[in-house]
Amino acid sequence: MEARSSRELQARNYLEKHRIMDLLTYLTSALLFFRPERPREYLISILERLRIARLSGVALPFFMDNSNIASMFEMLDSSNKGSISFVQYKEALKTLGLCTAEEVLKDDGHGVTFEKFRNEVPKKWTRHRRTTAVTAQ
Amino acid sequence: MTRGPSDSGPQGAAALRGSMDATTAPHRIPPQMPQYGEANHIFELMQNMLEQLLIHQPKDPIPFMIDHLQRDNDYVPKIVILGPPASGKTTIAMWLAKHLSTNLLSVESLIAKEYSPLAADARMHYQKFKMVPDMLLIRLMQERLKEEDCVRRGWILDGIPETREQALTIQTLGISPRHVIVLSAPDTILIERNLGKRIDPQTGEIYHTTFDWPPESEIQNRLMVPAGIFEGETARKLLEYHRNIVRILPSYPKILKVISADQPCVDVFYQALTYVQTSHRSNAPFTPRVLLCGPVGSGKSLQAALLAQKYGLINVCCGQLLKEAVADKSKYSDLIQPFFEKEIAVPDNIIMKVLKQRLDQQDCVERGWVLHGFPRDLDQAHLMDNLGYKPNRVFFLNVPFDSVIERLSLRRTDPITGERYHLMYKPPPTIEVQTRLLQNPKDSEEQIKLKMDLFYRNSAELEQFYGDAITLNGDQDPYTVFEYIESGIINRLPKKVP
Repeated sequence: MEARSSRELQARNYLEKHRIMDLLTYLTSALLFFRPERPREYLISILERLRIARLSGVALPFFMDNSNIASMFEMLDSSNKGSISFVQYKEALKTLGLCTAEEVLKDDGHGVTFEKFRNEVPKKWTRHRRTTAVTAQ
Repeated sequence: MTRGPSDSGPQGAAALRGSMDATTAPHRIPPQMPQYGEANHIFELMQNMLEQLLIHQPKDPIPFMIDHLQRDNDYVPKIVILGPPASGKTTIAMWLAKHLSTNLLSVESLIAKEYSPLAADARMHYQKFKMVPDMLLIRLMQERLKEEDCVRRGWILDGIPETREQALTIQTLGISPRHVIVLSAPDTILIERNLGKRIDPQTGEIYHTTFDWPPESEIQNRLMVPAGIFEGETARKLLEYHRNIVRILPSYPKILKVISADQPCVDVFYQALTYVQTSHRSNAPFTPRVLLCGPVGSGKSLQAALLAQKYGLINVCCGQLLKEAVADKSKYSDLIQPFFEKEIAVPDNIIMKVLKQRLDQQDCVERGWVLHGFPRDLDQAHLMDNLGYKPNRVFFLNVPFDSVIERLSLRRTDPITGERYHLMYKPPPTIEVQTRLLQNPKDSEEQIKLKMDLFYRNSAELEQFYGDAITLNGDQDPYTVFEYIESGIINRLPKKVP
């Protein structure tokens, strides 16, 4: 039916535009990880923090931190060379959702070292969150 | 920027590795997570929030979600009651509204509303044409449902939607009931019943000359005969009702229940009440952790084996586990062996250690388990509970003593082939086999009686400890009992009425 499919499309676009599924996944993971006594109050507190962060432009709380980045790099660099190939780097960014298909990354031929990885990922993360924060309003 | 807890590192990395390489690394999710999820109904919480987001599609989702969570109205009643004239709809709706302390909406109550231009419009229409146009009615309803008390305490719609068009419009506006009750009765009964209808003009309650006569004489004196109760009128209304209801029902496929109105009012009310208090099956992920309790011979091992076979659960039989530990010469075999030799019960903490080892294994955590033979008394139950092994379904199988004797004392084993027979349920094929059958000394009547007495001494405490346990009649054929157990696992636990 025409009307039904356009409503469905509208709903899907809404989900995409505001990245609702990511937000819900984040909330559910936080709940299962921290297992608070009162789930509703905890969810309200997270959402309040997100709302204030969005309004004031402060960097949003996110799940990953520096120890994660180090572990990630170690896994990608299985032979402990100290650097990963460019293809691996791009795949990692795609998995984290930090790099869209359109973005073209330069391949400087030397691979990506740990230092570069550690600096680039948080930058990309903050930039990514900011752009979604702007579009979600 | 907040830092996550220090041990999120490896878990975050594991999640990443899992997403990159989903086939090789199985997710080792600690069992506390699914237990917490089940206990707090996290899945339903998130599902409801997502539903509301999709229905209203607010421009700013986060404040909307905060409001939704604060309102906490996921489980308020949202009921629609439909039925032919004279089926007792309004009476049932009123009783339900009073019992569940929720708001009752009907065409009359909507158009009688004060301070509303829409309602005044509707009243004018009704006086002239004896009916309210669809759009006006829907808008009135929408206005009413947005009010604070409907949002907080829920609503019951009596006789709305009247037509398919109304049903579809309600749906597109995002108003969706959780339970729909349709009363039904043969037409002849309804026509006859309608003749006896009387209304109390003060309270608006409906009485009947035969079935529902008010006891107080002052109410009796007040009662009036309403318009439109004679046979011709009723038959006309019934015709229109049947024409419409057939097209409304397909809009509510999964939440519909038809109740026969051809029974006493109280019966209809209780059926309706039980229905609206059950919650529908949810899609939440669920690993069953089943505990089967019952005296010896009640069929626990058989049911556990059937469950393990059909649902892939791990069958954990306590006695079996201990015997395996001894036979495997594991580290516990030296501890357990002396108790086996002297035929004394193995102490609780040793059993618990062996059990813990088995239940912590990955397959038990992932696929769920069926436990039987433990705990047998309150101390063992407390011990298991303290270590964190909480079953989410507990079944007590009741079998009377004579049936147990019949089941167990007629068991025989053939010493040559090893085949097990039962003189009543699975008799041996030839006389030759029958003559050489032997009985296990544990299956003698005195032994059985001892074990049953032991069980019943402790069962009262166990039943109290596992408050949510389901008691079943185990004295039926195995597949019937299995079906009961299955429905107990799959449906939500019934809420205990306080």
